[in-house]
Amino acid sequence: MNSVDLRYPQQTLVADYLRAATGVVLCGAPLLLLDVNRWLAALLLAGFGLFALFLLRTALRHRTRFVLSPDSLRAEGPAGTVVEWNRLDRMKLSYFSTKRDRSDGWMQLGVGSTGGRLVKVDSSLEGFHDIVARAAEAAEATGVALGDATRANLRSMGIVVAGQEETV
Amino acid sequence: MLHFIVRRVLLMIPTLFVISALVYFIIDLPPGDCVTSQIEELLARGDPDAHQRAEELRQLYGLNLPLWQRYLEWVAGIFRWDFGLSCQDTVPVADLISERMMLTIVMETCTIIFIWVVSFVIGVYAATHQYRWGDYVASFIGFIGLSIPNFLLALVLLYVGKVYFGLSIGGLMDPEYIDQPLSWGKVVSVMQHLIIPVVVIGMSGTAGMIRRLRANLLDELQKQYVVTGRAKGLPPMRLLVKYPLRHAINPFVADIGGLLPDVISGSVIVSVVLSLPTTGPMLLSALKTQDVNLAATFLLFVAALTVVGMLISDLALAALDPRIRFGAGSEK
Repeated sequence: MNSVDLRYPQQTLVADYLRAATGVVLCGAPLLLLDVNRWLAALLLAGFGLFALFLLRTALRHRTRFVLSPDSLRAEGPAGTVVEWNRLDRMKLSYFSTKRDRSDGWMQLGVGSTGGRLVKVDSSLEGFHDIVARAAEAAEATGVALGDATRANLRSMGIVVAGQEETV
Repeated sequence: MLHFIVRRVLLMIPTLFVISALVYFIIDLPPGDCVTSQIEELLARGDPDAHQRAEELRQLYGLNLPLWQRYLEWVAGIFRWDFGLSCQDTVPVADLISERMMLTIVMETCTIIFIWVVSFVIGVYAATHQYRWGDYVASFIGFIGLSIPNFLLALVLLYVGKVYFGLSIGGLMDPEYIDQPLSWGKVVSVMQHLIIPVVVIGMSGTAGMIRRLRANLLDELQKQYVVTGRAKGLPPMRLLVKYPLRHAINPFVADIGGLLPDVISGSVIVSVVLSLPTTGPMLLSALKTQDVNLAATFLLFVAALTVVGMLISDLALAALDPRIRFGAGSEK
């Protein structure tokens, strides 16, 4: 297996930029243009902070390139870090959906190796399945304990990790 | 998780705007306005200046402006915590609701705690003692609570309290504390008067929650992993708490969304029956008199708490159980 360069698709990034900008404007405009009650101002300020943080995260994703290799997952960019598969010590695969019936959602993988920072990637990233499959192999090899939700989500992607059967 | 929070919060903002517009326009839909009934009273009394007075009142309340303009002014005022004038007493809505909001929040918060604590204990007991005396009693209470309307229970308790115990159950405090500053005696009086409303309002919620918790926990307790755990000799309490209970409490978390709006809505009918000085009767009266500013403000609070409650329960569920659901698209 050779190294593969992975990036978030332009379409996803544009959608996230739009979300962040909409939120920043909706929360920021009343603060700038109106005489806002202090409690509501605190609420709007919290919303503004949330969307500003999301804007920053989207910009970071925009500038980040992920390199998946047999030995590691490298995030190259302003907040770069490396996850070494043979030293994997954290793995969590979560599913999120904004719909009440939890359909049309997205996955998020969080992986980290000893001494390194946690890397979180969403399923909109090109080659997400390959990263999850490699992380699952590494988890099997290193014996990282996986949570209920992670195991269920891995199964939904057709990935089974040996040695991670349900325990009571 | 940040992505999830951002998307959910972003959905909340237009939702609240749409709800506020719908509420404002719908309350104004019936013919006439809040001045109409006041003028009819003046005319009935033979006041010759009734029509001139009506015009003055319409100008004071801004009722001569187009509806969309009144709506925009009301929305802009929300940011300043100024919800306009109420037609009922010609006082600012903000002053009017603050008087009752605190009592409503206290009463409904106590009700929510009552529902959670009682239903959790009884629900777990009923599930772990299926088809025993305790389970039958819990199920009986559950069915009674579900089938008796709250206001009827309130009437029965009023009657029983008055006739058999000589107690006056109505109100949320003794008459001598009404309109008095906060004191220890007032707090004690409120607490004493809270018991009956809390039990009455919380009865159906508790009964429903007991049924759901019992059913969910029974489902979990019959699963293979519990049987295996039991066969391996795990202590019963640990076997119950570690997985089945964690999965079975999902409805508790999901119900936060439904419970929060109750904190403001103030259980209208029960409050009327028990003469409780909460927001409920005020909302009812505002709707009857077409007091658009007051009614729309209450309903906006209810809507805001509903969407915030939904957000909290969705976040808690996403944090507790971030699993994919197979066939989610077909689940309704």
